[in-house]
Amino acid sequence: MFIDIDCAQIKKYGQNAFGDYFVSKRTDNQERVIAVLSDGLGSGIKANILSCMTSTMRVRFIEEDIPIQKAAQRIMDALPVCQLGEISYATFSAVDCRNDGSVWVVEEGNPTFLWMRGNQEIEPEYQEYTSPKFPDRHLKIYQFKAEVGDRLVFCSDGVTQAGIGTSGYPIGFKREGFLQYVKECIAKKSDISSTELSSKVIQKALSVEPEEHAGDDISCAVLYFRNPRKAMVFTGPPYNKMKDREYCLSFSFFNGKKAICGGTTANLVSRELKRDIINLPQPQSGDLPPVAVMDGIDLVTEGILTLTRAAEYLEREELKHKDAAGQLVDFFLSTDIIEFMVGAMLNQAHYDPTLPIEIEVRRTIIKKIKKLLEEKYFKQVTIHYM
Amino acid sequence: MEKIKVKVCQGTTCYVMGGDVVKSILDTLAEKYTDKVEIVSVRCFETCHKQDSFSKAPYVYVDDEVISSASVEKVINAIESKLSDE
Repeated sequence: MFIDIDCAQIKKYGQNAFGDYFVSKRTDNQERVIAVLSDGLGSGIKANILSCMTSTMRVRFIEEDIPIQKAAQRIMDALPVCQLGEISYATFSAVDCRNDGSVWVVEEGNPTFLWMRGNQEIEPEYQEYTSPKFPDRHLKIYQFKAEVGDRLVFCSDGVTQAGIGTSGYPIGFKREGFLQYVKECIAKKSDISSTELSSKVIQKALSVEPEEHAGDDISCAVLYFRNPRKAMVFTGPPYNKMKDREYCLSFSFFNGKKAICGGTTANLVSRELKRDIINLPQPQSGDLPPVAVMDGIDLVTEGILTLTRAAEYLEREELKHKDAAGQLVDFFLSTDIIEFMVGAMLNQAHYDPTLPIEIEVRRTIIKKIKKLLEEKYFKQVTIHYM
Repeated sequence: MEKIKVKVCQGTTCYVMGGDVVKSILDTLAEKYTDKVEIVSVRCFETCHKQDSFSKAPYVYVDDEVISSASVEKVINAIESKLSDE
């Protein structure tokens, strides 16, 4: 299974820092996902510091398998104490799960998460622990096994308390409203991604707030256990020309979406697989060469310039561009596991000192894209040099 | 009469060296030659791999003739010369 994870957030109206903080990490050869959503006491920068410290430390403690009670105590001791309230506090929901579906969740103070199978909620059993030092703080610990298609949906109280005091929601959106809305979204689109679902939930919560001004920080994090969507990108001609055919065949037999980045690469795939490259009579793709079409291939683009630009878009989180690089970014983000086949053959013409711009080395850009996709977009990426 | 085929390389080197500008200007001039010339983009000719033989990018092919360091003027001249031959 692949765990598709994302979080969407809105700041409390008028604040310039998020009081909720979300951190996630894939470890153990990408097979384990640890994520923490924390809500700091109050809002703004103080809350931001509390929730940031709580979630960051919590992820580290989980990663190192430090017992939860011990970890909770250490975090309480470490948090700075607010001079006004003389307390230091951040609620949290932490999840530690693996690709085989085993899930461990611990919550303290946040609304109880939703475990959804299709659009039905499952209520897992839990054990409760009370902090010896802070008797009003209770930890709920859940352990269960998720199946393909299951989702875990977490939120901060900004969602459940949205709209509180309004005529429509006198006691807030509540967990029931949150659950109902998640059910509706899944019923409408059974394969809704974590990105889309988390974004819809926070927008819904905002829509019930008076004047659509968030009365608190609003966050929603979703983990979706699904069969992985795979993609392969073939870029650059293989170093050994004798292996062109072998690589092209393995590319064509790959079970998933396929992209080719590079003119020479497109030519060699076209030659070996006997498929034409069709250049559409279309306008230029912004200031990048336009995409082409090949039977059985989902996307054919120019190489280095497009890859370089795609890396820039990913880095700056500019995900709405429609040029060739924007289409490549869409291609990446609509999959979970991406395999790059990177040819090591260099084109000497790219290193001509009279070229008006510096053309990056293919390997460098691919490594950069891999890092961005893994760390910023939680994808599993492998690179295979040819 | 068969149309003269003008193919503009859109490979990385050609593109960086101005192939895109040549293509877009040729597109705007295309009306003049509508019945006689077809202008298309090509993913990559790989001519730059043999740049010792063919001087510099960008490359444009006018039928089988390779035009290196292609400019709009050079391409138009080649088209005119082919048209006058016919």
